[in-house]
Amino acid sequence: MSMENVTTVLSGDEAGGLAEAEASGGWLWLRSFADNRLALAGLVVVVVLTLFSFLGPLFYHTDQIHTRIGMETLPPGTGRPLGTDDVGYDQLGRLMVGGQTTLEVAFGAAAVAVLVGVAWGAVAGYLGGFVDALMMRIVDALLAIPALLLLLYLSAVFQPNVLLLIVVVGLTAWLVPARLVRAEALTLRSREYVLAAKTMGVRTPTLIGRHIVTNSIGTILVNATFQVADAILVVAALSFLGLGISPPATNWGAMLSNGLNFTYSGYWWLTYPPGIAIVLTVVAFNLIGDGLRDAFGLDTRRR
Amino acid sequence: MKRAGEVGGGPAASGPVYDGPVLRVTGLDVDIRLRRSVVHAVRGVSLEVAQGETVGIVGESGCGKSTLGLALAGLLPVNTEVRGSIRLGDRELAGVGERDLRRVRGTEVGIVFQDPMTSLNPTLRIGVQVGEALRVQEGATKAAARAAAAEMLDLVGLPRPNEQLDRFPHELSGGMRQRVVIAAALVCRPRLLIADEPTTALDVTTQAQIMELFDRLRQTLGMATLLITHDMGVVAGHADRVFVMYAGREAETGRTAEIFDAPRHRYTAALLDSVLRLQTERKSELATIPGRPPDLTVAGAGCPFVPRCPAATAECSAQFPPVSGSGSHHWLCHHPAVQDEDSRVTEAPR
Amino acid sequence: MTRFLVRRCVQALVVLLLVTIIVFGLSRLLPGGPARAILGVHATPSNIAAFNRENGLDGPLPAQYWHWLTGVVTGNFGFSYVLNQPVSSLLAQRLPKTAFLAGISVVLAVLIAVPVGLYQAVRRGRADDYAVTTVTFVLYSTPAFWVALLLIDVLSVRLHVFAAEAPQGSFSAIFSDPGAMVLPVATVTLVTIAAFSRYIRSSVLDQLAQDYVRMARSKGNTSQAILLRHVLRNALSPVVTLLGLSLPFILSGTLITEQVFNYPGVGLLAFNAATSQDYPVLLGTVLVVGIATVVGSLLADVGYALLDPRVQLGQEAGSGS
Repeated sequence: MSMENVTTVLSGDEAGGLAEAEASGGWLWLRSFADNRLALAGLVVVVVLTLFSFLGPLFYHTDQIHTRIGMETLPPGTGRPLGTDDVGYDQLGRLMVGGQTTLEVAFGAAAVAVLVGVAWGAVAGYLGGFVDALMMRIVDALLAIPALLLLLYLSAVFQPNVLLLIVVVGLTAWLVPARLVRAEALTLRSREYVLAAKTMGVRTPTLIGRHIVTNSIGTILVNATFQVADAILVVAALSFLGLGISPPATNWGAMLSNGLNFTYSGYWWLTYPPGIAIVLTVVAFNLIGDGLRDAFGLDTRRR
Repeated sequence: MKRAGEVGGGPAASGPVYDGPVLRVTGLDVDIRLRRSVVHAVRGVSLEVAQGETVGIVGESGCGKSTLGLALAGLLPVNTEVRGSIRLGDRELAGVGERDLRRVRGTEVGIVFQDPMTSLNPTLRIGVQVGEALRVQEGATKAAARAAAAEMLDLVGLPRPNEQLDRFPHELSGGMRQRVVIAAALVCRPRLLIADEPTTALDVTTQAQIMELFDRLRQTLGMATLLITHDMGVVAGHADRVFVMYAGREAETGRTAEIFDAPRHRYTAALLDSVLRLQTERKSELATIPGRPPDLTVAGAGCPFVPRCPAATAECSAQFPPVSGSGSHHWLCHHPAVQDEDSRVTEAPR
Repeated sequence: MTRFLVRRCVQALVVLLLVTIIVFGLSRLLPGGPARAILGVHATPSNIAAFNRENGLDGPLPAQYWHWLTGVVTGNFGFSYVLNQPVSSLLAQRLPKTAFLAGISVVLAVLIAVPVGLYQAVRRGRADDYAVTTVTFVLYSTPAFWVALLLIDVLSVRLHVFAAEAPQGSFSAIFSDPGAMVLPVATVTLVTIAAFSRYIRSSVLDQLAQDYVRMARSKGNTSQAILLRHVLRNALSPVVTLLGLSLPFILSGTLITEQVFNYPGVGLLAFNAATSQDYPVLLGTVLVVGIATVVGSLLADVGYALLDPRVQLGQEAGSGS
């Protein structure tokens, strides 16, 4: 095992001058990100799948509301690139519709998680002291309960629809961004420009919004992408457990679990298309998140 | 092969006694391969260090002095290419394989890095870290290494050395930690010590103490020292000779007095000009060197200091200056500076 | 170290208290009030009133909470009308099995992931590093239930090597039929490894970039010596903390696994309770798992304290010079 290859390349200091980075400040991360081929690939995959799901149906019309008896589980053939599922829906069309829901819920839940988490964490970190301690203990307590278990309970109590699903999934996911932003806030609040703004009389909410949050934007963005990835997997797990949305609405996770009932019948087009779609999308978002993290130069241990 | 207990350095145990310079570098080039470019960190450097001598290598950040230090200690990463010769005593180090380099590290060459806070492993005790080189290189027993470590800690001036052996790095102050690092680097009594910015991370009082320590150790242990720094003051007080680097190349070399009293290379002159002295008039402006350090990915043909030099001509851009000077003082400048009686630089006669 | 531990214990107690408040709050979310939700649609007003009286639900909210909390502390987690048993006995039966499944899987996961992470960090940028990273990446992005079912499909159905259902019955049944435990354990282990290996790899890489590694190299240490003697210890402490934080995630994975393999643990219990609307059981499970996680986290912090001398000695700054 040779280790010379891991001893760090000499830092930019010794490389002299500004050889690699001409732009300075603000948009440097974009350039770093663009250099990362894997991250770009992830971005492309996400864009393609989003277009597929939302624009696809405009070109490929199928009926996703009425089931068709006598047309069940037909293998791929002319007129049906991916065959039909167990109640007669066209599978390719279903993949598009399922994609819409999957992506909507994932983005929505991530948005909820980030909004709530950032607000909570920024306030806690900035105020510090007892308020911070209490707010973070609440986070700890919520973190102690596995999200799936909590979701199990909430889904049993409330009949889920898309909006409710977004809210519920988001509300179990805001804890991590809260912790991350709180850590940033703790560091940032003693920076001179924050203290200066404070002495000039800038009010606290503005301080938090303008200084703390904007300077944590890197961490927030990185975490947001991972939130989307996680949300897709959580919704898939929920659908598998039967607690997702009811038909005719569907999502990739539900399609996959449904298809898995037929594994031994050999209907591969019921499982692999949605399954691969899920894995591709989650991998893509993780790659984007990693790429963003590298581009912002953040600590690799924080998600 | 050294036997356990017998420390390294000094003349070889058998064969003819070698009494040339401890270190002789000839035409050293170091290239660093980055993702999209190659950085020419060191170009055509030649220098010598005699036994017991301290040579200060000075230059601004990014001039290649740290790379030079790493090259001499055999610690360059894999994405580098080294050309030229590095002779340590009678042994050639450039181009040598990792296994042989490993044997040289710690036993013949010791290196002290800039930041004592991070140079020590936070989860290992001081005694272990100081005695480590002995155990690794000479197969010393735990007890022998511990005893040697205590001896070294005493030598570097730590109070109650036996107690310190079992403490952890975070229990010590910055100055104490740097002493520990120095002790660890010298425990095998190497003949060359490379100190890369050893006092930059310390406060001024501690800086002075550490430099005093270096002087004392040099007298006691007799090793040659390469003092890499950007601080002219440190060099002025503690180096026998000075090697000025700019953009990876040699600018000027000479005895400390020669360099400080009569700098010839325009860069050296500008550097010294920018250092505040007691004689500087109170209301005068701080002298600075205009411009920025050059891009080392471009291997230009002329003198790299041209964009910032007040005396640059077309000749300077076209051709890298040859070595001029005599005796111990050389410089590489087409239009070297000349001092008037007040030691202010005037234009050199063309 | 004692100061650190005492502080952590106090924190843990506060968190535990908050967990109970949260669970209590959850129980109040039930539509129509807990009584109606538990007794069902056919409950008459007098049934409800009696239920409320019995369970201390007829006072002001803080009093209700206190009544419930004292019950919990004395072991009364409610009663399941669906399964006709006290929740506590259900939990007592099922918890050891889940603990066993999760415990073995975590140990296996660490034993595999740490060497792999070390190997990856050393081979950084080479083909085998990319290969391992790709595999763990894809594994991490695959829904756990699909992993479980794929394992069943390949190893159980096609190759007939392992059983597709976990051992039922008492705890000792697990040991009489270890083969049937292989797939469930494998699933949870794989899911855990997928989550960990990225962190271990980057933790080791972070350490390798530290100055003390360069210092160690300058003394002539071989790569192996540097890894084992210097880096491992430093890279492990964040992993231990990570373990503590990942317990909820691991338990979620365990829940899915229990459902797929019909493993009679706490996860399956919760799932069945959700489908049969057996709220007392669900709430009891949430509470118990929450407590277990807080305790587990605390233990992980103790482990961290043991590994990192900076914590042990209270991180005091150096005295004198």
